[in-house]
Amino acid sequence: MNYFEFTNPTKLCSGKGALDNLAYELEMLGAKSPMILSDAMLEQLGTLKLVTDALGEMRIGRIFTDIPRDSSVEVVNRIAKEYRDYDCDALVALGGGSVLDTAKGVRLLISQEAEDLLELMGCESIPRGKNVPFVALPTTAGTGSEATDVAVIKNQAKHVKMEFISQQLLPDVAILDPRMTATLPPRITASTGMDTLCHAIEAYSCMQKNPLSDAYATAAVELVGKNLIRAVRFGSSKEARAAMANASFLAGAAFSNSMVGVVHAIGHALGGVCRIAHGDAMNILLPAGMMFNRNYCKDTYAQLLLYLAGPEVYLKTPENKRADRMIAEVLKLRQRLNRLTGLPMTLKEAGADPAKFPDVARTALNDGAVIVNPRQVTYESVLKILEVCYGE
Amino acid sequence: MKKELLNHVNALVLQVLYRSLRVLYKHDSRVREEIDSWDKNISFKLVCGPGGAVLALRSCENVGFRKLPRAQRADITMRFKSVEGAFRVLSGQKSIADAYAEHLFMLEGDIYKTMGFVRCLEFAEAYLFPRIWSGRILKEIPDKQLATLKVYALAMLENG
Repeated sequence: MNYFEFTNPTKLCSGKGALDNLAYELEMLGAKSPMILSDAMLEQLGTLKLVTDALGEMRIGRIFTDIPRDSSVEVVNRIAKEYRDYDCDALVALGGGSVLDTAKGVRLLISQEAEDLLELMGCESIPRGKNVPFVALPTTAGTGSEATDVAVIKNQAKHVKMEFISQQLLPDVAILDPRMTATLPPRITASTGMDTLCHAIEAYSCMQKNPLSDAYATAAVELVGKNLIRAVRFGSSKEARAAMANASFLAGAAFSNSMVGVVHAIGHALGGVCRIAHGDAMNILLPAGMMFNRNYCKDTYAQLLLYLAGPEVYLKTPENKRADRMIAEVLKLRQRLNRLTGLPMTLKEAGADPAKFPDVARTALNDGAVIVNPRQVTYESVLKILEVCYGE
Repeated sequence: MKKELLNHVNALVLQVLYRSLRVLYKHDSRVREEIDSWDKNISFKLVCGPGGAVLALRSCENVGFRKLPRAQRADITMRFKSVEGAFRVLSGQKSIADAYAEHLFMLEGDIYKTMGFVRCLEFAEAYLFPRIWSGRILKEIPDKQLATLKVYALAMLENG
């Protein structure tokens, strides 16, 4: 690559007590009446209360917790209207990818003074608008949404997940506090952790990779290699939780600047058409996607072995076998997670309907991620990957 | 002076591209199938940098595409950030994928609906550039359903 760009202006507050700084960070951003976006589950678990407590005496403009698993354009438009109606002046997003992406959509609408998110579709085409302070508090360590300029929001009418790409989507501050992920069940810890690994591997091997995104991606792979199993087995380990949260942020920043590839393209389509959870789809598709790209990414996969499996395995593996060993390590990790949590390893186990695969393949081909995949992605190749991953 | 020259070349290549897409719609089943699968009358615009050449077109039954006035708003706009960046793509030095990876253009409109148009542009690149050239920029060269020379000849006869 002759030219690259890299953007990551988000201030990161990471580690023990990070949440305690929320009110200060909002004040520094000029906020006086933030709107909090979250979901009903986090309200029930008491995580939302931790956040409202952390705001102390700051006035809360509105709390909105009715965000579904797959947020949609309609939900974003509705929340933006409430933001205006309640005279809010900042956004605090507490949740997983869906809540964070919803908040990004709301911020775009408010800052651009628009009514409908569909008016703002595009890639790198939105100018800086009205200032809307935005703090992201991820409660899963997977999507990396707190560090990305991408929002994936569902178009209900077309059953597709739409991508919005703009620097204006990046949060001002990301707060990674181990308390936010402490209640995450092992099964979701595993699934979201594999999403992080997939972001890092695809960011490190796609056409838009660059020296800075590489640094973020390799750091993320190393953290996942050392901490994912620990976070699944010992959920109360603050060190493991913090490490996975950092890995998620790093992988997010990496792919925000280098994009992803065929695994994400098919994963988004499986989410839209077959309603397969994103992390589960990544876990199922990643080895097959790596095999698909293997001949084009031998060197990059070989390099990643050092970070995922450690120097001992790397040095013991002959140079020409390292790429395959890397794929084998991903498979091994997947099997361990399956034994520990029952995370599905095939699309059949995940409940995908093979009759919908042609539809999935057509949808995947229209995902922006295929353009930077190192190997040409065709309808036939997507169908083949889906058949392999179905597991019969 | 240099920019003016590049603008002229870009305008010329856009004209060839437009005519070739119409030819391919008629003679390449994959291009036809692709365009026929889109929303009816969807419009695209390629803008080759500030003040640069513009190709605005609308998908049309039976002929593939028809031109639109350059000032008309399109459903999808690919806007190159510079005349030079557009030239690098239109002269075959960079593929559309390279251009995306290097942030040479921005996109207004639905990314999902743009990918089909990108596939058509890649088909056109495969036909219009010599194999040794397109092999350098395309990840895979599709089989040709008619000869490159024939595409150029038919393109000359197309209505511009």
